[in-house]
Amino acid sequence: MSNIGRSVQREDVEGKVTGETRYGGDLRGPETLTAAVIRAAHPHAKILAIDLAPARAIEGVVAVLGREDIGGTNRHGLIKRDHPVFCDERVRYLGDALGMVIAETPEAAKRGVEAVRVQYEVLPVVATMRDAIAPDAPALHDFGNVLATQLIRKGDAAKSLAESDVVLTHTFAMQGVDHAFLDLEAGYAEMVEDVVTIHASGQWVHEERRLIALALGLALERVRIVQPATGGAFGGREDLSIQIYLGLAALTLGRPVRMQYTREESMIARHKRHPMEIEYTLGAKKDGTFTAAKVIIRSDEGAYASTGPAVLRKAVSHCTGPYRVPNVEADGVALFTNNCPTGAMRGFGACQLAIAYEGMVLAMARALGMDVVALKRKNLLRDGECLTTGQVVPVASAIDCLDAALARFGWADRAREAPSPTVRRGYGVSTFCFGVGYGDGYPDASRARVRFADDNVLEVYSGGVEVGQGLHSLLAQIAGEEFGIESSAVRVIASDTARTPESGSSSATRQTVFSGNAVKLAAGELHRQVMDAAAVMLGLHWEDLVIKGDRVVGVHHESVAAPLAWVLASARERGFLLDATAVYKPRTVAPVDDSGQSPRAFLTYMFGAHIAEVWVDIETGEARVKRIVAAHDVGKAINPREVAGQIEGGVAQGLGMALMEEVVTRNGRILNASFTDYIIPTILDVPTIDAVIVERVDLEGPYGARGVGEPPLIGAVPAVLAAISDAIGRPVHQTPATAERVWTIMQSPEPTLVTTWSLS
Amino acid sequence: MIYHRPQSIDEALALKSSLGQRARFIAGGTDLVVGIRKGRTTVDSFVDLSRVPGLAGLTRAGDTLRIGAACTHAQLEREGITALAQACETVGGPQIRNMGTLGGQVGTASPAGDVSVALIALDAVVELASVRGTRSMPLADFFVGPGRTSLEPDEMVLSVTVPTNRKSVFYKIGKRDAVAISVVVAAASVSPSGDVAVGLGCVAPVPFRPRKSEQMLRGHPLTSERIDAAAAMAASEVSPISDHRGGATYRRAMVETLTRRLLRTLADTPYEGLLSVAMSHS
Ligand SMILES: Cc1cc2nc3c(=O)[nH]c(=O)nc-3n(C[C@H](O)[C@H](O)[C@H](O)COP(=O)(O)OP(=O)(O)OC[C@H]3O[C@@H](n4cnc5c(N)ncnc54)[C@H](O)[C@@H]3O)c2cc1C
Repeated sequence: MSNIGRSVQREDVEGKVTGETRYGGDLRGPETLTAAVIRAAHPHAKILAIDLAPARAIEGVVAVLGREDIGGTNRHGLIKRDHPVFCDERVRYLGDALGMVIAETPEAAKRGVEAVRVQYEVLPVVATMRDAIAPDAPALHDFGNVLATQLIRKGDAAKSLAESDVVLTHTFAMQGVDHAFLDLEAGYAEMVEDVVTIHASGQWVHEERRLIALALGLALERVRIVQPATGGAFGGREDLSIQIYLGLAALTLGRPVRMQYTREESMIARHKRHPMEIEYTLGAKKDGTFTAAKVIIRSDEGAYASTGPAVLRKAVSHCTGPYRVPNVEADGVALFTNNCPTGAMRGFGACQLAIAYEGMVLAMARALGMDVVALKRKNLLRDGECLTTGQVVPVASAIDCLDAALARFGWADRAREAPSPTVRRGYGVSTFCFGVGYGDGYPDASRARVRFADDNVLEVYSGGVEVGQGLHSLLAQIAGEEFGIESSAVRVIASDTARTPESGSSSATRQTVFSGNAVKLAAGELHRQVMDAAAVMLGLHWEDLVIKGDRVVGVHHESVAAPLAWVLASARERGFLLDATAVYKPRTVAPVDDSGQSPRAFLTYMFGAHIAEVWVDIETGEARVKRIVAAHDVGKAINPREVAGQIEGGVAQGLGMALMEEVVTRNGRILNASFTDYIIPTILDVPTIDAVIVERVDLEGPYGARGVGEPPLIGAVPAVLAAISDAIGRPVHQTPATAERVWTIMQSPEPTLVTTWSLS
Repeated sequence: MIYHRPQSIDEALALKSSLGQRARFIAGGTDLVVGIRKGRTTVDSFVDLSRVPGLAGLTRAGDTLRIGAACTHAQLEREGITALAQACETVGGPQIRNMGTLGGQVGTASPAGDVSVALIALDAVVELASVRGTRSMPLADFFVGPGRTSLEPDEMVLSVTVPTNRKSVFYKIGKRDAVAISVVVAAASVSPSGDVAVGLGCVAPVPFRPRKSEQMLRGHPLTSERIDAAAAMAASEVSPISDHRGGATYRRAMVETLTRRLLRTLADTPYEGLLSVAMSHS
């Protein structure tokens, strides 16, 4: 039986369920020290003097390290290398680090941190994007407060809007969101000979090694990163965190060191999802055909670049989502503030834009008096049409997903009556798309090694990290498939810079396509190696041989048969190589100019459609999601249960963003940096989620697979907002739609559905 | 730090009397331990009340239920007093309800204490004890400010007594359906003679009874006009603040909405019906 399309049990679930799995925080060695970071006391200040001596005097403190203990550039960052390991002159947000204390116990480390004396000259805080562009705004970086701009120019939007029958403009605002993974930043480091060996969870071990080597001034070979079991990432482990402090401490002291953030520290230090403000103008003909879009996107970057420029590009390149809009003018700008830096999080800029374009489609349907599903049908891209970037999508399956979702939901027969006099029922439909991989010509490759080990076990080596999504068992499924070997019999060696090839990050919904393909290619090559050896030993042409069960047999010569184990052992004796490496490195293309147009901005696109039913208490504004149907075209579900798991998790996270999650920041300070105050959904808040898997074969992915990590979150938010809007008869253009916000919208004098409105 | 586990109420009182201010009673620890971890509270020694014999008792006498201070929320979910059961059901999650106690709830004196709001709306009486003797007072008067109570340094909460013959009802607006600190919380009850009591949370420094509103209802049938007027009055009596959980305008408006809603429910529902009244539309 084929491994592909089978819900095989993941190799990691048993340990996780029984509690045997060891996460970063569970690791320690002999006489392990504890490290803690000294953080800024102000969101924006000049550092006048740092006195570490009082910390050194604390009993149990072994060492206190500062800027002068760092040999390299003292900078990291995924795109700009602008994030100081330890600040030298200035602090730009409250999570900025000034140094670290290493002590015999966590308590002593904490006392040490508290004992450090820092003299600051407090500077004005750039608290909002408006502050950032004020004429007298302090410049947060040498080049000012504008990190990046991104444009789309396609057709002539201004002209087309002037000629459109209906033109609507609305403003949208999205909040900062925390990744809220349960497994806090934690890890362990030690010196193994002269190699700093760091066991901590990130999303791209090889990049972490590069960044650490550069910042600390070490040769690459002197840094090794090993990923322990990881309890969630969602983009939140893409930027460096504790890895570099652990490395520095172990390197300087030569002793084992561990550390773990508190939840509060994790929330203050770690980057967030970009808060955005979006001004969106959409034009249409009387019959509903979209004519043009003009989109302005402002993105709060916080103190450092992180992946901001890429997030902004993803936002503008997804600004019209899965719709056919012939004329587009989009202007995106990312602005520095003294807030927590913002970076990667599931959805990566595309998610904020989906809220905006879906809000506009809904507004347009109301303005035209058209059914929103009909309006979508009219404007959704079909196979072979092109996106806002000019890229042609061979499989544009939003329509297929929409049909599948409507059918599963029972849309035609949906209940209409109000559940109670004060509670109204609302339905929302979202359709969306998402580009896979880094895109825009950024080097994007996965490498893999597949071999038969000396014990004849099929082994896969991959640098790709498992962050809860089931990557390693997926790779085992694919490698095993080439040999008819069950995935549970495949050994996966992964995410260790010393032992595994570089496979890029577990992000951008890329690993199924990228590492999946790399493993498939390597396994194919290994298969050739085995068959060549078998051909020599069995005296048949390699094309006349196949692997059947645990034997190699002749296709036309049934008398020829040998156990696979014998073939492997003999091959090894005769010096045949049973070890193959492959790279999957497809091409994407950066936009040629400011038009943002690219024939292949992203490798491939995923489409989906969600339907939400939400009940809203019209007196209190409380919204409860009763049901969500989530249809995703994943090309081919290699492991359907894991695909459904990703959909369910993404939808739950999307509900959080739609209804309750919000990083509340005032003057550079996060007011709710704890799980008491930062509210994420509990199981009681999450309704039945119906995951519908649509499979229209992808041209790139292994077995036609396309990946599924990010889109489920992207679809859930606008579907829930649309359902609330349906229930209350008003647009909901701000997230999260808390009870108070929904209530406030209902109090506003008249439905402000249409702000610009001309019907000729 | 010393941890005392007294074997009787008297021993607990004697310990507290001799150890003084910085010795703290601990029951479920669900407030105290959080406070210590956040650095809000410093404690020299603990006097553990969670296993003191006789402190977790439930005693029915006539039309009253006397609830021992060490009773947990989980226990009170099952006692058939609607507002109290509904309030206890919404506290935290199952773990918190199994650990958190009535004594800790009122001892914490949080303006957002869901159970405290239900209790004051039931016109509950609190009984305090020390080596010097015992005394009682209306629970609503026991709260003097956020985190501040009428307890003397040597006193403990011994019990809270509630009537069992009042119709009552409770509603909480939180940011999610479990483990949520209330944004606004309200409860109301009516006695067989028609006296109405209302409790409101998160809208004043303490769990709050809108006395003028209650006064308006005294001696009158619960008509919808009178209910509306009383609800509006309640909204004028509260003093909500704006914080990251909610704004003052919304909170004040919700006082009116919830007071009206709860009073209407009391007016419309026969006594027996109330336990099964689904206040939440989920
Ligand atoms: C995750 C979480 C969720 C929560 N959710 C809610 C919620 O939804 N609604 C809500 O109202 N509360 C909630 N709480 C708060 C808490 O659970 C309750 O207030 C609980 O009733 C406290 O009881 P305890 O026994 O744990 O108190 P403890 O923490 O043991 O004590 C609290 C205070 O009361 C004092 N004390 C305890 N017993 C006595 C006594 N007999 N006499 C005098 N003083 C005493 C202690 O010294 C201390 O000052 C939550 C807490 C947590 C951690």
